Amino acid sequence: MQALLSFEQAPPIAAPFRFFLTAPLFAILAGTLLLWSGPELLASRWTPSALALTHLITVGFMLQVMLGAMIQILPVVAGANMARPLLVSSLVHAAIVPGALLLTAGLLTSQPLVLRLAVLLLGIGIALFLGAAGHALVGVRSTNPTIQGLKLALIGLAVTAGLGMLLAVARDGSSGLPVLQLTAIHLGWGLVGWGGILLAAVALVVVPMFQITPPFPAWFAHGFSWSVLAVLSSWSIVVGAGWQRPSAVLAAAVVLTVAVFAALTLQVQRRSKRARFDASQYYWRLAMLCLLAACALWFAADSLPALAQRQEWPLLCGVLALLGGFMSVMVGMLYKIVPFLVWLHLQNLGDGRVAAPSMNKVIAARQIDRQLYAHVASLVLLLAAVIWPEWFTYPAGIALVLANVWLLYNLLTAVAFYRYQRLKMVAPTSAIPPPQGTC
Amino acid sequence: MHAITDFMANDHRACDAMLVAVEHTVAKRNWELARSEFAHYRDGMLHHFAAEESVLFPLFEETTGMYQGPTQVMRGEHAQMRLLLTAAASALAEQDVDDYAGNAETLLIMMQQHNVKEENVLYPMCDQHLADHVKVLLPTLQTQIAGQVEVPT
Repeated sequence: MQALLSFEQAPPIAAPFRFFLTAPLFAILAGTLLLWSGPELLASRWTPSALALTHLITVGFMLQVMLGAMIQILPVVAGANMARPLLVSSLVHAAIVPGALLLTAGLLTSQPLVLRLAVLLLGIGIALFLGAAGHALVGVRSTNPTIQGLKLALIGLAVTAGLGMLLAVARDGSSGLPVLQLTAIHLGWGLVGWGGILLAAVALVVVPMFQITPPFPAWFAHGFSWSVLAVLSSWSIVVGAGWQRPSAVLAAAVVLTVAVFAALTLQVQRRSKRARFDASQYYWRLAMLCLLAACALWFAADSLPALAQRQEWPLLCGVLALLGGFMSVMVGMLYKIVPFLVWLHLQNLGDGRVAAPSMNKVIAARQIDRQLYAHVASLVLLLAAVIWPEWFTYPAGIALVLANVWLLYNLLTAVAFYRYQRLKMVAPTSAIPPPQGTC
Repeated sequence: MHAITDFMANDHRACDAMLVAVEHTVAKRNWELARSEFAHYRDGMLHHFAAEESVLFPLFEETTGMYQGPTQVMRGEHAQMRLLLTAAASALAEQDVDDYAGNAETLLIMMQQHNVKEENVLYPMCDQHLADHVKVLLPTLQTQIAGQVEVPT
């Protein structure tokens, strides 16, 4: 019955938008950190600044977009609406933004107090979100693989966040915890158990419907999230127990599931019936190619000891997966979600009397295309910076800042457009000067 | 036990294919063909709405007693899509590619998020509550969708 009651309305526009607008700020900070730290940041994945950079992208950019998107899509795809979505969004956002900033500061300075504060705030924010989303999903039957994927992704988020908090507290080294193993498990659950399962659950709906493709094969749709969870859990237990050989086999199985998802998505997308690709579809394609490349690199390092000894390969894998894979797909989706929500809320405001301008007018296609080029440039330069840090770290930092200032500008354009149009609808007879820089 | 979901979802896919056919003719600037493909698509959409609003939803409401629930939300979204269909038709009549593309993209996303709600929530509820009516219901829906019953535009 809860699903039925919650079917009725989309959450207020401010609920998801606060997350979407904050995300680029963290990526801008990530670029700034790269400029501030210089080439030493990329000496290894374990430098304090590399850890801080990683978390600016994951807890800063990615978590913001993922939580904002989940608040929006739960009612649509599962008929599960959160109670008081604006309040939940405000509280979660108010906790995780300073939480992510403190985490970055804590990783950079190794100050236990700062890390503990970060753990507290992120813990409160994520627990609140899990509680609200879990409550909305209670009683919703998993009638299709997407609903099932969304539920399992929440488990992935809980495990990732729990382990992350443990690792942050244990960073002073006094706990005696097996930090290396726990870090591997934290990373596996974050990238695959939370990020991968959520992305696949969304892809099952979004790719066929918006790109007009055939559906994903049934074996994949029904089997993916459970298989990932099962393999990931077994791998975690085996890693925790310190069994080398089975852990290597299971790790390969985890990476293989991601590769299968990326390859299948590319294959499904290739059969799109749309007349031409837009920036959003290019973003999807870029993301899947990067995920495949990250998986291929992982397998190469797994089988070539000479490569495995080098510091560069985990960094390359990280850049490909985070910036190339997850960030690309998220930015691509923001360019569909944000203009559509602007249109939808204006349309509801017009109540059939005043027609809202179509969504293509919200952010100019030219601006979206240019931001895509800037994003690709930042990705290529960051990959180059991993291999030749002295040459490319600063250009990569500048490109990352530029690409995300551009993203923020495009999103703010959408907000300005929304405000201007809303004003026009509320007071249609008064003369309102056109806004600056909306197209 | 997915008879209604499968039947109605198939018609969603048929409408998707018709919208894409228009997109291809517009991309080639074949305006005459675009207008006839669009008319085909609009008829498909309006027949689908009519099948739901005059057959499926009333039966669901009568059987469950839920008159102000999801069917009401779906009716509201149908009204929004009818407005978009009109806007897209005017853009085609004026041979305005950008305006058509904008309205068609909005319509596509509106239509798809509407379809997701129906296919994931409302149709499974119909399958659950209207199992005894399926034998009569499906042919009636088929007649309506095939356009054998006049649809008010």
